[in-house]
Amino acid sequence: MAIKTDIQAVDDIFQEGKIVDGFLLGPEVHRGGMASLFSATKEGIDMPILLKIPRVGRDQPVESLIGFETELTILRALKSPHVPKYLGSGNMATHPYIAMERVSGHPLEDLIKEGKKFSIDEVIHIGADLAQAVQSLHAQDAIHLDIKPENILIDDKGKLTLIDFGLSHHSRYPDLLAEEMRKGIGSAPYISPEQVVGVRSDSRSDIFSIGVIMYEMLTGALPFGNPQTMGGLRKRMWAQAFPPRAIRKEIPRWLQEVVLRCLESRAADRYQSATRLRQVLRDPESVVLTERSERVEPLSFWEHLKRWIRAAGYEPSPSPRPSMTNLDAPLMIAAIDTRQSDEDLRERMQTTAKNLLNAYPESRLVCISTIAGTPTYEGKQESQTASGIVRGHLVQLMEWAKPLKLPPERISYHVLEALNAASRIVEFAKDNDASLILIGASHKMPNKVTPWRTSMTKIVEEAPCSVHIVRT
Amino acid sequence: MARAKELGVTRMVFLGDIVGYNADPCALIDRIGELVASNKAIAVIGNHDEAVFKDYRNRMNANANAAIEWTKSQLSASQVQFLKDLPLIVNEENICFTHASAHNPEEWNYITDSMSAWLCAQSSGKIYTFVGHSHEQALFYQSAVGKLIRFAPHPGDEVPVMRHRQWVSVVGSLGQPRDGNPEACFAVFEPESEVLTFHRIEYDQFTAAEKVRRAGLPEDLANRLITGN
Repeated sequence: MAIKTDIQAVDDIFQEGKIVDGFLLGPEVHRGGMASLFSATKEGIDMPILLKIPRVGRDQPVESLIGFETELTILRALKSPHVPKYLGSGNMATHPYIAMERVSGHPLEDLIKEGKKFSIDEVIHIGADLAQAVQSLHAQDAIHLDIKPENILIDDKGKLTLIDFGLSHHSRYPDLLAEEMRKGIGSAPYISPEQVVGVRSDSRSDIFSIGVIMYEMLTGALPFGNPQTMGGLRKRMWAQAFPPRAIRKEIPRWLQEVVLRCLESRAADRYQSATRLRQVLRDPESVVLTERSERVEPLSFWEHLKRWIRAAGYEPSPSPRPSMTNLDAPLMIAAIDTRQSDEDLRERMQTTAKNLLNAYPESRLVCISTIAGTPTYEGKQESQTASGIVRGHLVQLMEWAKPLKLPPERISYHVLEALNAASRIVEFAKDNDASLILIGASHKMPNKVTPWRTSMTKIVEEAPCSVHIVRT
Repeated sequence: MARAKELGVTRMVFLGDIVGYNADPCALIDRIGELVASNKAIAVIGNHDEAVFKDYRNRMNANANAAIEWTKSQLSASQVQFLKDLPLIVNEENICFTHASAHNPEEWNYITDSMSAWLCAQSSGKIYTFVGHSHEQALFYQSAVGKLIRFAPHPGDEVPVMRHRQWVSVVGSLGQPRDGNPEACFAVFEPESEVLTFHRIEYDQFTAAEKVRRAGLPEDLANRLITGN
């Protein structure tokens, strides 16, 4: 291949104290197999900077160059609070580097190596944050494909950042690692079965990796070991991970269900989006327990043999576009005005919600109602206390949703306290990666028309998702 | 052209088929001729341009033939000479421009898959090869194993195209893009920053189609401008 190897030794260009394209190099902070990292500063940029310099030139692996090119392409395109900001780059042929925000925090890897015993709550929390960070990539049509503890930074406040996009895929840019001869590039313990056979376009691969990490934090063990051969890597196509509850009794059934579902060998059997994974981690009651949650013993020899034979014909599931997965398992919000007395509108909203829920079997409905605030001075009666008022609204929401006859895992109810109802609804939709907001507009509201109208306009203008206005 | 100026384009390249589909062949040749003469543009010849002065009757469909006959009747001798003088291929230090493929350019082979793109890149030997001919935009890039892989670019996205691998860009056509979107295709290459951006731009395809109709050219040619098929 036409990669030049006569690039000037980068060591001569990048040294502490030198200035490259305005970046004043500080000390080298890390030297790895593929790249060196330098701290740096630049006038006009008021955040700590990191310069990543690929190990190129003679005797250096070709991968480091492709990885550099891939990372440059993808990091430059990404905008996410969970990804270091891209700050510039140098010419590939003369002085290759990527400048990015130097994120504080330590790799999750450090904690694992120290032998830290994670509490169940910590695992749930990190898992949910990880799912959120991954979703922010998927929403932009990017897939990380190398999610592992080494590439996850967590700072003092618990904020999580994903780093190293050298193996990532972005469907809006050429995939330089496509059709790579070596299959299964990535870190052996964490890559998904479909990555083992060379599929690079399935966002659910990241879900599998999150499952491995949660499993590792819970049990201290790797679900499929750390194989060094192709045969060993293929094992995850048929083997079932040893049930985490058999290693650590206190793990709740629902959490075992979630982790093992992430580790399903067929991508179609896992959670279909990172948002969904985050939702179940934050709302255990919505987890449907299956046989996975009951497992206490590893599969018998015969069961494994059967699965092995099935895996001989392993076909990766078709990969949906990353940003579309959330649309197949959408979260819909019904904003319900509990003070509303328009029966026609109520019925029409219920029908609309029902139809939408029927169209997407994996969808969920969140019914919300907003209240202006609860009284500081509470009355004596239950209906006048804060909790009483909230409960009263909850009952009305449940009443509203009754005709939909939804199983509990597909519906939840929230009463939001807010002075500005519209802003709060928009914020809630953002926080939960909602795909749709359903609101009703009645013609039968002579007095309050104006404020309701402005609040609807605000939702339509500011919502991060589609807004469905139901009219009578 | 106005949009290209807005984007800060310093030099334009016309990748052939200047005439043969449209109703303004004379104006186009004069305009492009001026730009070429003042070194602001380069142009290469396309098969439809060649058809004006070579016998192509058995190589094109009835609509294309009818359009060529009409075009011939419009052009002056010097305009035909301009087409005759157009080069088949232009090679610069790192870049090759040609209408169809750098591999046997006179055969007007289409670049549609890895193999045809690979032949083209091998023949040109340049880092960047730009072609037209196929009406649909595509970027072929050299993978780790040397094979060229097809990528469907997203309009407006800046794609880094670094010099250590070969790239074959099919920039698409200004009319009749054949992908169901009537917007005109072009691409902007910035050699210094090694960035390539494919563009789609709205133009008045209805007026263009009306002119085609008024010129008495086949109805199908006018319709394709509007539907983008």
